[in-house]
Amino acid sequence: MDERLVEEFCRIAGTENVLREPIKLLTYECDALPHLRQMPALVVLPGSAAEVQAVVRLCAREGVPFVARGHGTGLSGGALPVPGGVVISLARLNRVLDVDIPNRRVTVEPGVTNLEITKQVAPYGYYYAPDPSSQQVCSIGGNVAENSGGAHCLKYGFTVHHVLAVEAVLPNGELVQIGSPLPDAPGPDLLGLIVGSEGTLAVVTKVIVRILRKPESVQTLLAAFNTISEAGAAVSDIIGAGIIPAAVEMMDAVAIRAAEAAVHPNFPPADTILIVELDGPSSEVRELFAVVEDTCRRAGATTVEVAPDDTQRMRIWKGRKAAFAAMGRVSPNYYVQDGVVPRTKLPEVLGRIAALSQRSGLPIGNVFHAGDGNLHPLICYDERIPGQATLAEEVAGEILTYCVEAGGSITGEHGVGADKKDYMPRMFSDDDLDVMQKLRDAIDPRRLCNPGKVLPTPRLCGEVPGPYRQHPVEAAGLADRF
Amino acid sequence: MIAASMRQGSAADAVDGVVPRQVVEPADPNELAATLQAASRDKQITVLRGGGTKLGWGRTPAAIDLIVSTAKLNTLLVHRHGDMTATAHAGVTLGQFNRELARHGQWLPIDSAFDGATIGGIVATNDSGPVRHRYGTPRDLLIGVTMALTDGRIIKAGGHVVKNVAGYDLGKLASGSFGTFGAIVDATFKLLPIPQASATVEASYVDGDVLAQDVMKVSTSQLEPMAFDVMLEGGQYRLRLLFASSPEAVSAQVESAQRLLSRPSTVVTGEPEMDVWVDQVRSPWAGTGAVIRFGWLPAKLADITTLMHDVQQMAGSIVMCGRVGTGAGLMRVDGDVRTQAAVVERLRSSVWVGNVVVLRASHDLKQHVDVWGPAASAADAARALKGMFDPSGILNAGRGPI
Repeated sequence: MDERLVEEFCRIAGTENVLREPIKLLTYECDALPHLRQMPALVVLPGSAAEVQAVVRLCAREGVPFVARGHGTGLSGGALPVPGGVVISLARLNRVLDVDIPNRRVTVEPGVTNLEITKQVAPYGYYYAPDPSSQQVCSIGGNVAENSGGAHCLKYGFTVHHVLAVEAVLPNGELVQIGSPLPDAPGPDLLGLIVGSEGTLAVVTKVIVRILRKPESVQTLLAAFNTISEAGAAVSDIIGAGIIPAAVEMMDAVAIRAAEAAVHPNFPPADTILIVELDGPSSEVRELFAVVEDTCRRAGATTVEVAPDDTQRMRIWKGRKAAFAAMGRVSPNYYVQDGVVPRTKLPEVLGRIAALSQRSGLPIGNVFHAGDGNLHPLICYDERIPGQATLAEEVAGEILTYCVEAGGSITGEHGVGADKKDYMPRMFSDDDLDVMQKLRDAIDPRRLCNPGKVLPTPRLCGEVPGPYRQHPVEAAGLADRF
Repeated sequence: MIAASMRQGSAADAVDGVVPRQVVEPADPNELAATLQAASRDKQITVLRGGGTKLGWGRTPAAIDLIVSTAKLNTLLVHRHGDMTATAHAGVTLGQFNRELARHGQWLPIDSAFDGATIGGIVATNDSGPVRHRYGTPRDLLIGVTMALTDGRIIKAGGHVVKNVAGYDLGKLASGSFGTFGAIVDATFKLLPIPQASATVEASYVDGDVLAQDVMKVSTSQLEPMAFDVMLEGGQYRLRLLFASSPEAVSAQVESAQRLLSRPSTVVTGEPEMDVWVDQVRSPWAGTGAVIRFGWLPAKLADITTLMHDVQQMAGSIVMCGRVGTGAGLMRVDGDVRTQAAVVERLRSSVWVGNVVVLRASHDLKQHVDVWGPAASAADAARALKGMFDPSGILNAGRGPI
């Protein structure tokens, strides 16, 4: 990068907050999807919204692409740098600006971690609902970019349901407020567009979130089943009974083994376990929890273990939340997918995944949010064995095809990023994608803001090859409609 | 194919007294898209119409060439009850939709004050009522949308799974857009089970401070009402708490709520309970007065009641109903235009309220106040999007919000 330009970045953020030595840039070459790597030209760590704005303005003036980055925990390469571009790290924008308990809202800078918000308000009996598994380290700015979910979004929704307003720098350098701390801001819901736009429409510099009163009661059970279809039937029966649990999570034998090896949650050795959590007023939880327990037994649960206290509840969740990282104990490498299927299609799609695992010879663990059909298949492979990494990617792609064919989505919470952009045509028509591109160009006409993410670039990179590309996804969707 | 359903506009089609030149009712999504394409090519000022129940919201149009009605797009496409999602054409009414969903014990938890309000119109206005306390506004329940655009294309975003972050969420952009970007063809929602039982606790207040204290007590408690509303009428406040859950849980929560409130309360169930909520939703819309929407910070309710007192002094009687858990209110001001305009100004100059929008207003009042209020901070970005979706600027031209 031009020396004169580097000096300008240094004047904005301070020399100590501009990184250009390769050794320092290494940290930023990937997010939590390490197989996609790219060295940026420069990393800038602005210390205020004004500095972010100045950095974006300078990038806009010079035509330099930029990528905003929170704490780098993203699982889709959404913060993957651009060659010759700048990474704007928001790690220094980590102040909690306002904790307003009476009005149940908290104002933070984007570098504040998700869990920090709950920590700030827990003493008053409140919490911030979206709880991605990475909540101890992931940033709220990243959550806004990805519209992060978590185990409890079945009942409580995603980041988009909990953010009231943001302050953001648009790609042209304009600093704007989007949304409103008060209800019913007039006009189209730009906030809802920005949340989940994966850093391609704006760089968020401040976030106002709403917090919730802690429920009076929380009850969690862990049920073991001999088959995944029995567990699936239990989920259908619970929800069919008109109960919306706070969370319904499923783990298969591979995932259970991995979690046991890593954090020893003392899960029963079963083919499938189901974790069901209810929360709310004590009277409601008491009444409905009995129904859930009974439903699990009738569906064939071999054991049903009810967490008697918070410690035991945390033990169950620790096992569940550690499952991804734990795969490292049972497999040298793994690839996580994030496809979604309609809940009723879970047994069918899980069956196809099991057959695929057998056919490909790659073990696939399943840890997923069963309540909302969000799968997280963990495809195990060994990159030292020639061809296995490629095979794992192919298997991952095929699983996404199953999800789309079942009427689902290629991503429930991890985002499209750089990782899944070439799968977008499986879900959306050329027209759908063209309109999304035009929308993006309306906000970022020079294509400088996190380029190369979300939308495919078919003629340049070539789309994912294989027999699925021509699959009549729309036709499948239409067939479902009538 | 378009001409077949095209007819001359009549007085019954007037928007704010402006009679459209023509009215068309496309028979299917393709016709809808072709109509928009032709209108865009011919630069015809176009207003999209669902049930027409909120058509007067917005600025007075200078002229309308074409009203495009979704009346014939009225099919409930699919109810995936096992997945608790459903898709309906824009012209399906909320009532029709919920009657179908009820067959499987499910509902789309949205209130509308208007019979005949359609799914498309509800999304386009993002209109909501008391149950937003638990379920949010339509944008929170919308998971997929199909839209017809002015270039003749039909596109979709989102899907029919409740959890999905693939691509830009155009459904959000359609929410509150008042048909300025394109026409909603169909919408897909996540649904909820109809609660087994419900009961409403009501209490009356004259003193705003006492009301605010009781509201705060409920807010900081662990009660989980479905709706948490207040109604000001005739100088008296009524607090209304709707509990909906399993029967035992409802009784337990009703009991706790009654213990918590400082004023004597009554419990309403069954048919009378339904009447209470119909009253709560419809009262602001009774008569012909101006209806103003506004927001406040929930903990500032005591200040809001002071402000309401001032407004009552100015305007004589007003009706105000509000979602006190979220700080979302509607006020009806009868009185003359000068008074109504003064109330709007009073609200806009208050530090306690914001997002003051005049939803229903006479032609006269619209000459005195801008119904939308000051432009939002990101107005340029919204305009850029408007330019992209509607380059000829035909959709809801001049009526706003953009």
